[in-house]
Amino acid sequence: MEIKTTAVAGTLESSDIQIMISKGSNGIEIDLESEVEKAYGDQIRKVITETLEKYGLKDAKVKATDKGALDCVIKARTLAAAQRATETQDKPDLEVL
Amino acid sequence: MTYVKNRLRRTMMFVPGNNPAMIKDAGIYGADSIMLDLEDSVSLTEKDAARMLVYEAIKTVDFGGSEIVVRVNGQDTPFYDEDVRAMVKAGVDVIRLPKTESAAMIQKLVKDIEHWEGEYGIEKGSIGVMAAIESAKGVLNAPEIATATPLMMGLAVSGEDYTADMHTHRYPDGRELEFARNMVLQAARAADVYAFDTVFSNMKDTEGFYRETNYIHELGYDGKSLVNPRQIEMVNKVFNPTKEEIEQAKNVQNAIREAKAKGSGVISLNGKMVDKPVVEKATRVLETAKASNLIDEEGNYIGE
Amino acid sequence: MDKVVDLFLNDSSTRKKWEQLLTSLGLHDFSEREVNVIDHTIGLVDEDGNLVGTGSVSGNVLKYIGVKNDDAEQGTRFNKVVTSLMNYLTQEKIFHSFVFTKAKYAESFEHLHFNLLAKTDQAAFLENGTPDIQDYLHDLPRVEDQANKKIAAIVMNANPFTLGHKHLVKMASEENDLVYVFVVANDVSLFNFDERMKLVKEGTKEFSNVKVVSGSDYMVSPATFPAYFLKTPDDLIGVQTAVDAKVFKDQIAPALNITRRYIGKEPFSKTTHYYNISLAHELGPDIEVIVVKRLEKDGEVVTATKVRQLIKVGNLKEINKFVPEATYEFIKQNMDELQSRIEKGMNINGN
Repeated sequence: MEIKTTAVAGTLESSDIQIMISKGSNGIEIDLESEVEKAYGDQIRKVITETLEKYGLKDAKVKATDKGALDCVIKARTLAAAQRATETQDKPDLEVL
Repeated sequence: MTYVKNRLRRTMMFVPGNNPAMIKDAGIYGADSIMLDLEDSVSLTEKDAARMLVYEAIKTVDFGGSEIVVRVNGQDTPFYDEDVRAMVKAGVDVIRLPKTESAAMIQKLVKDIEHWEGEYGIEKGSIGVMAAIESAKGVLNAPEIATATPLMMGLAVSGEDYTADMHTHRYPDGRELEFARNMVLQAARAADVYAFDTVFSNMKDTEGFYRETNYIHELGYDGKSLVNPRQIEMVNKVFNPTKEEIEQAKNVQNAIREAKAKGSGVISLNGKMVDKPVVEKATRVLETAKASNLIDEEGNYIGE
Repeated sequence: MDKVVDLFLNDSSTRKKWEQLLTSLGLHDFSEREVNVIDHTIGLVDEDGNLVGTGSVSGNVLKYIGVKNDDAEQGTRFNKVVTSLMNYLTQEKIFHSFVFTKAKYAESFEHLHFNLLAKTDQAAFLENGTPDIQDYLHDLPRVEDQANKKIAAIVMNANPFTLGHKHLVKMASEENDLVYVFVVANDVSLFNFDERMKLVKEGTKEFSNVKVVSGSDYMVSPATFPAYFLKTPDDLIGVQTAVDAKVFKDQIAPALNITRRYIGKEPFSKTTHYYNISLAHELGPDIEVIVVKRLEKDGEVVTATKVRQLIKVGNLKEINKFVPEATYEFIKQNMDELQSRIEKGMNINGN
């Protein structure tokens, strides 16, 4: 999978997470902002990384702004951003979720 | 989750499909049905993201026993096919088709559902359908829509779009919806499916909400569509059976039990025959009473 | 639940409601300079139909963000407004945005993953998205063993590049191991960014230790600095200078080991003179500010402003006295185009 454009999914509202994905060359690099960073930072990064890897992205820069999202929300937003970044949002890859 | 044709459906709470906070909490209010929306409440640019969010939510969020309905985008949009596919795969209970105007549209939906059920190895018939009636044409075709498929769960009047189609808008007295409400209800009853009234969105007007809910309850509607969890309790209050209705229903059940014990084919109560509609009504009353905690496990009245 | 709606400020009743809301929140500057550059505005409407929040976008800059928090959970409305502005930018394919705001709001934006670029007692400047300042700095050219070299910087608009600019670059080039020339990237000048960049590059190519780079969004120019949140528009230059200096001092200089900055001595403009003094004040003591006396030709100080005035009247011969060969050739080739830009209203009197 190749990133064609920078893309965003999700909002900054409570219980959501905003994911911005752009081209990278150094594996999956995640820049995370979260009020629960201490307790859940690693878990959030893990869910994002796993979702992207499952989707087939090896290199990507990710900016994530978490507002207390559940794992299912993190997965859904990450995949939505990834599909927008690869310009494949018309063909949702539900197997990833 | 599997579709159950007959169950209590007094309240159908609308939840915007792109709002994680509202989806997360949707199960705690005790709505009979939760309608996750991919259509009107989701902007065009967020359709893809909302679909994934709702898909994930159905698979992982605990909705506390509420029935899960998803309103997909209309068949005239580029989102419809993927919406249906995702919701079948997620295992939703019921798919609600917006802007339904003919039996053919419902039959297409059923065909599409069956296609994806086949694709994903899901048993056919595990997902019900319902039709939102939002136009003059839809109202006039309500009878054929209601009988379009054995999987039909019910019909819902959608007041905003319908009144726009009729060149009017919503009024507090609801006269503009009179024909549609009656037509849809007739069609639903004749086809033995459920009937749902439209939303009432002015949260400040409690009196108006009760007036409208009492009115549609009086007409015979099964339930009402809601936009705010605060309305659930209000609807339940209106739909609660009275103590007398509950006693009557209990008597009907006792009469059935007695007749069965005697091996008698004819059931009578107070000298009158207990026929099918009476039995069904009694069942409905006791179901509702139980859901609203008006009776205990043994059927004793515990309401105020 | 609050609803997000588009606001059209050219509708006078909308405009009035919008101004009333912002005034109640302590914003008072609705001058043309600030409002006319807005591309899009959204509003937040509560269940009773009252306007309870708003935000605007001008290019890649968020402006006029304000919410009433009377009966909403802290931050909810603010987050909603910023989300919908970012959605708008995303649709416009803008993934990198900025905000200039009152210092006390910096933290609210930081919670939304905006990174603080500079903060003064009055103002904060933050960015969000990608590519960010780290990417910008990462991509700038460097030399070997840069940490142990003497490195200087010059920031110029070069509208257009003159012999005066060249003189400044030459001095810096002679006195340092490496010189970065940052060309201001905003396109509000007679010569557009690509043209200015090209002429600076050509005009300095004889100096092997000079690297000409884009200032990107990190050279805060008074031309584009939003002043709507300041107590008075008179604070503009002071606040803008402080913000600009802070970004340079805290973000750019350390990454490139810059320890000196060269500026031309201002002979005429009081504002520029004041700017130079406060720049020296803000940058010191980490960065030494070296003020170079302006180059004179035939007893006249060389300025880009003068060159633009000569373009307006089409005096090529006189222009030739003040600019290097490449700039002269470019003006000669494009005289008609440049004059038509001036006729169309391009201001040539600023810098």
